[in-house]
Amino acid sequence: MEQANPLRPDGESKGGVLAHLERLETQVSRSRKQSEELQSLQAQEGALGTKIHKLRHLRDELRAALWHRRGNVKACIANVEPNRTVEVNEEEALEEKLENVKAVLQAYHFTGLSGKLTSRGVCVCINTAFEGNLLDSYFVDLVIQKPLRIHHHSVPVFIPLEEIAAKYLQTNIQHFLFSLCEYLNAYSGRKYQADRLQSDFAALLTGPLQRNPLCNLLSFTYKLDPGGQSFLFCARLLYKDLTATLPTDVTVTCQGGEALSTSWEEQRASHETLFCTKPLHQVFASFARREKLDESGLLIDCFHCTGNTSAK
Amino acid sequence: MDETVAEFIKRTILKIPMNELTTILKAWDFLSENQLQTVNFRQRKESVVQHLIHLCEEKRASLNDAALLDIIYTQFHQHQKVWDVFQMSKGPGEDVDLFDMKQFKNSFKKILQRALKNVTVSFRETEENAIWIRIAWGTQYTKPNQYKPTYVVYYPQTPYAFKSSSTLRRNTPLLGQALTIASKHHQIVKMDLRSRYLDSLKAIVFKQYNQTFETHNSTTPLQERSLGLDINMDSRIIHENKVEKERVQRITQETFGDYSQPQLEFAQYKLETKFKSDLNGSILAEREEPLRCLIKFSSPHLLEALKSLAPAALFSRIQKLLCYSASHSQGTQDPSSYIPLYPRC
Repeated sequence: MEQANPLRPDGESKGGVLAHLERLETQVSRSRKQSEELQSLQAQEGALGTKIHKLRHLRDELRAALWHRRGNVKACIANVEPNRTVEVNEEEALEEKLENVKAVLQAYHFTGLSGKLTSRGVCVCINTAFEGNLLDSYFVDLVIQKPLRIHHHSVPVFIPLEEIAAKYLQTNIQHFLFSLCEYLNAYSGRKYQADRLQSDFAALLTGPLQRNPLCNLLSFTYKLDPGGQSFLFCARLLYKDLTATLPTDVTVTCQGGEALSTSWEEQRASHETLFCTKPLHQVFASFARREKLDESGLLIDCFHCTGNTSAK
Repeated sequence: MDETVAEFIKRTILKIPMNELTTILKAWDFLSENQLQTVNFRQRKESVVQHLIHLCEEKRASLNDAALLDIIYTQFHQHQKVWDVFQMSKGPGEDVDLFDMKQFKNSFKKILQRALKNVTVSFRETEENAIWIRIAWGTQYTKPNQYKPTYVVYYPQTPYAFKSSSTLRRNTPLLGQALTIASKHHQIVKMDLRSRYLDSLKAIVFKQYNQTFETHNSTTPLQERSLGLDINMDSRIIHENKVEKERVQRITQETFGDYSQPQLEFAQYKLETKFKSDLNGSILAEREEPLRCLIKFSSPHLLEALKSLAPAALFSRIQKLLCYSASHSQGTQDPSSYIPLYPRC
């Protein structure tokens, strides 16, 4: 190792010292820079740190506000809900009332005469019935104007609607409706009797039932017992009163035209009375029962007879 | 079986299209099920016809049976004929109509047979309370011509009868008389209604063209018809005459309704009117007597055509014309009574 020689020339030691000083200077400036950088970094770090704090604080505030709001809304809902259920109940009650009213209006059909308001008047519905059986319905759509007129209807063509309207429609509408009801109910009743005779007692009829559209003229031949030989009766029923369900004229004859024994003559006369006083199918029902009575020979069936003839 | 009868049945069956043959034969109910089953309907038509004639011969078909087959064929092909409408009337204070079908048939036949010795009359009742009458006309010296019959459809206990228009017009008065007397009426008048469509004539004459009624049972509310003014149209477009359009729409709706219209082919109105003129001294205006005119509307489906005029905005003009003719026609029956669909003015 070279010892520093004090007797060396200055150049070498100066170069050494100056260079040493330079090195020290750069060292200092470097460390100064570093410390400056460090400081700025620290400052930045500090700033960011405070920013983070601020943001966290803000976040917490917002969260708190949110919870608060939700809490409010829930409270509101809790307040509102009892009101809503009340509304729903009212609505249900109204609907129920509406259904009731509708049902009542529909049930009016059973009174036989009902109606519904239309945009230009009223649509009247006539529901016919006979002996507790509900039969066909007919409609008349009236236009309320001066003069009152029928717009359209479903009344059959052979019912004298125009005649009845000409008589009563303008002056007394109630009378018009009741008169029409009478005609239609009577027609329905006659039709019902004829239909029942054809369907239920075909065994007692020996030929087709002759009828006309209004069912006011019926002509048929029948016998009293379905199987065996008995006299054939010819019946001709005229219903001259179109508002009635019972005939006005009845003619019963025995086929063959020979003179009848008194018992058959009595029967014939009794049949005439029966047809005049009782509905057609009931008369035939009594014929059928009488047959059973003859066959069985028991008196018990009498109770059925009397029981039914008294009930109308 | 008579040769003429055989020929008649053969020609009738030949007219029937193959797809309707079994239905019509069943409705005829002359050949039994067993007999019909022996026929092979898949053959050529001539062979089928031959077989059927053979079966009819076996069963000894009469002229009446043949006439019945002809009636059934016509019932299935109603629109091949043109139908006129006749209205009968009774005297005032007449008794209740106690219609007896047997009596009517006998009476009708007797009247025709008394007047013309040679005439074939056949009847067939339908379920809708109508009676179809077929008349084949002959004269004192010639046999009835079975190929040009007249058909009458009468609805008992109503004043209406429908008659197929035929070329043999000279028999119409006799036919009218027979119908009137047999049905116990006094008078018969021909109405100014004519159509191929019997159902439409029935609908008009019996006023049964609209069979929908409002009741409390119906759940579908009456729909509001769109005015034809589309919702898709630009809202900036305003219809100046919207009120008028709505009025026309409403009147059309009330007059024609929502149902399908009876099929009328033409409507004719007699009109007596005076000529109006602004010029004084016009020859036509000075006429004392009113001018008599005949207005005729014709179309394949007249009422639908009129109904569709409403959107075309011609409706008000037609309406005015009809009202005018209704109020001014004198000496003829009120046309609004034939077509009771139009609003009274």
